[in-house]
Amino acid sequence: MSRIKSPSHAWPPANSSAPPAAARPSLPQRASYVQILVYLAFCLLILAVPLVIDDAFLLNKYARYLALGLAAAALSLSWGYSGILNLGQGVSFGLGAYAIAMHLKLKTSPVHTGAAGLPDFMVWNNVQTLPWFWEPFHSTLFAILAGMLLPVIVASLLGWFMFRARIVGVYVAIITLAMLVVTNLLFIDQQRYTGGFNGLTDLAWLEIGGVEFDPYSPTFYYLTAGCLSVCLLLGLALTRSKAGLILRAIRNDVDRVRFFGYDVAAYQILAFAVSAGMAGVAGMLYAMVLEFASPTFMGVPLSLSMVIWAAVGGRGSLLGATIGAILVNFMQGSLSETFLDTWQLILGALFILVVLFLPNGLASLIDMAGERLGRAPPRARTEEPAAAAPRAMGTFNTKQRG
Amino acid sequence: MAYLELHDLEVSFDGFKAVNGLSMAVERGELRCLLGANGAGKSTTMDLICGRTQPTGGRIVLDGADITHEPEYVRARRGVGRKFQVPSVFKELTVRENLEVARSHRPTPWKTMRLFPSARLDERTQKVIEIVGLEDVLGTKAAYLSHGQTQWLELAMLLVQNSALILMDEPTAGMTIQETRKTSEIFNRLRGQHTVIVVEHDMGFVREIAETITVMHQGKLLSEGSIAHVESDPKVMEAYLGSGGISHA
Amino acid sequence: MDIVLGQLFTGLSIGSILLLVALGLAIIYGSMGVINLAHGEFVMLGAYSTWLLQSAFGLPFLACLVLVFFMVAFAGWVVERGVVRFLYYRPLDTILATWGIGIILQQAVRLSAGAELRYVQTPEALAGSIDLLGIAIPSYRLFILAVTAGLLLLTWFLVQHTEFGMKLRAVTQNREMASCYGINSSRVFSLTFAFGSGLAGLAGALVAPIKSVAPDMGTNFVVDAFMVVVVGGVGSLLGTVASSGILGGSTAGLAFLLNDTLAKALVFLAVVVLIRFRPRGLFVDRVRR
Repeated sequence: MSRIKSPSHAWPPANSSAPPAAARPSLPQRASYVQILVYLAFCLLILAVPLVIDDAFLLNKYARYLALGLAAAALSLSWGYSGILNLGQGVSFGLGAYAIAMHLKLKTSPVHTGAAGLPDFMVWNNVQTLPWFWEPFHSTLFAILAGMLLPVIVASLLGWFMFRARIVGVYVAIITLAMLVVTNLLFIDQQRYTGGFNGLTDLAWLEIGGVEFDPYSPTFYYLTAGCLSVCLLLGLALTRSKAGLILRAIRNDVDRVRFFGYDVAAYQILAFAVSAGMAGVAGMLYAMVLEFASPTFMGVPLSLSMVIWAAVGGRGSLLGATIGAILVNFMQGSLSETFLDTWQLILGALFILVVLFLPNGLASLIDMAGERLGRAPPRARTEEPAAAAPRAMGTFNTKQRG
Repeated sequence: MAYLELHDLEVSFDGFKAVNGLSMAVERGELRCLLGANGAGKSTTMDLICGRTQPTGGRIVLDGADITHEPEYVRARRGVGRKFQVPSVFKELTVRENLEVARSHRPTPWKTMRLFPSARLDERTQKVIEIVGLEDVLGTKAAYLSHGQTQWLELAMLLVQNSALILMDEPTAGMTIQETRKTSEIFNRLRGQHTVIVVEHDMGFVREIAETITVMHQGKLLSEGSIAHVESDPKVMEAYLGSGGISHA
Repeated sequence: MDIVLGQLFTGLSIGSILLLVALGLAIIYGSMGVINLAHGEFVMLGAYSTWLLQSAFGLPFLACLVLVFFMVAFAGWVVERGVVRFLYYRPLDTILATWGIGIILQQAVRLSAGAELRYVQTPEALAGSIDLLGIAIPSYRLFILAVTAGLLLLTWFLVQHTEFGMKLRAVTQNREMASCYGINSSRVFSLTFAFGSGLAGLAGALVAPIKSVAPDMGTNFVVDAFMVVVVGGVGSLLGTVASSGILGGSTAGLAFLLNDTLAKALVFLAVVVLIRFRPRGLFVDRVRR
């Protein structure tokens, strides 16, 4: 009953005299080169710090801030770019920290407990032989790889578990929070293998190819700044790639993206896993700079603090989140002990103000300044898609039906 | 075998059967109009074909392959594209970025991670942009577009996506007469190259584009054929008598 | 037999405290969609208020309970008016803002009352234990059980059988529509938030004699309470009751077989799996979406 018309009109119509596609970069395009330059400038800046400061304690302190900055940057990748509010960033952070700490603990063990090489806390807990999963951590390479890949694997599994079932918004936050608590409890419970409440203390220095990374030295600072720079630039590349664009599209309207043939869950898992890998690196650096790893790394307060730092700096910008973390910790670190409690009070208030009035954090101030100067493009206001809302107010999810 | 076949398709929401035993076939390159009153199940049928809603019974066969239980993105990769009743574009992205998302011939993360969108539009996208007249707003965020421009953007996204099967839900809703005319022009160009299914209330528009019309009533197929056939079908007359015939449906 | 009964009671006891803490949260999350991470701090405020009223003014415990409810409810009202009401359309941001509020409350208490542990006395009449079917049950635990049941009934009556409850249900269903019919929805929300906070405060007062009172005691409560609410299903009072029973029972049972820490970890893991398969909770009506 229906006849097929011959495809006489090729569409779009072939038009040989079509004008060449826009060749000159438009204004927003130029502004995005500025973005690369800003990131490069930041990396050079942090790498140059030891040139002007040679106080070992300060460098150690700054290295700590940079490590936390990396954790916040990782969070902004999943939260700001992809709309996955991960309240359990501490899982990845802690796994990274414990992986490297296990290696560094094994290095000190012969010194403390004789040639048997058992870590001291195992001796106290009457462990006779080194557990099998501790064995490979004798290798530096294995420990470093584990510190990165373990969080990636765990996040991929959890991501697969959540995102294949199309869990979004608030429920992602609750699941990640629950997983954080579970991990924390397990590490505390398995005292014989993890050191329990005390964690792994009294760690050796990392040594790669004869270079020792004394946490109170420029060498270690360079390691931290270098890791942060590499992660930031890789993260920037990801966000500027088409995959980054798809992630932003997913955050904007998760259902619409599917109808263009994108496997949304795969993209969410990607962002979640990359973010976890970066957090793992941050955890490794943090454990080395403090020379211990403890269950508090996986505590609810630290993970939520990371969220605060990222929000203050700007959740939608890797660099913004990094600077937010560095800034908050810098201010916190430069206050006297007695003022610290009051500072927490101020921090809480600051955080509420940012959430209420500056949802994109300090980074949006720069954008606003840029807009006023007419150079930078307007940045997307971070508004949560309605789909992310808990369905308690059950009104606006009714489907269109004909 | 037809390009798209629906066999005894059925979906029920808590016992209410929005689509109830619908069977129809659409040939490759055909432009099919879906008509019916509100609640006849037209949009739900579209939802079933693109995978937004899962059927509770029946089969959907696209180009010989059973796609009944495939997720949306797999169907999209097979060439099913959809325009929604409420224009849905990515409001936080610019027009250019919206089109880049729509240009989805390499959709896996492995590919897109290594792809860096450039300021240069490819020839096809450039042409689509010219036809829908969005050249001047490429850098504008979609949230700032007018209603008409948003409609055009979504249409442009569909054209850029270049799906073999295009499902359109009320493409001319809220358009001016001139815009509607332009849309029907585009539709007539799509004919043959693409298979198109359109849900539309504007009978003038339907007359201009349609060759075969399927009329739905209470989730079932009521009548099918040319405009003349459908309009003179006693079943259609009966079903829509109260509302004064199909042209007011 | 004694062991089984003992375990049963322990489960019931844990469950009743869970329910007590989760009840306020269930009301707030269920009707307003606000994830209130400061809920634990309201519990903490309740505990500290009890300690203050008891040690500084020498008030009897029961009198403290009534006062504490209104004190913490007022604090909740202030928080809703000051912060939460701006965020009803940004549910994820309520998580962040209320965490900030939690930090402020915690620090304010630490600064004013000190960081050391505080103790609240059990009233003398409830200090002993009662012999029930051959096992000795602390009377105070029974008292908590009774009060929890009472509060549950009160809440149920309030939501289902009063004009306020009717308004609240209307606003929960559709805020705009309710406003069109002349319901002052922002007033309904702030009163609901205050009521939920008051319940949290009451929970704090009741657990104060059996747990140590410290500024950071709320963090654990809030996570537990959230799991209860999510498992029970948003907006389902009965679901909240059932899920606190299930979570309390399984925690007690697993703790008996393994230990407290592992039990909690396993229960949370089960909750995660459950959210994955039934994100709307175990006991919520199937709603057409």
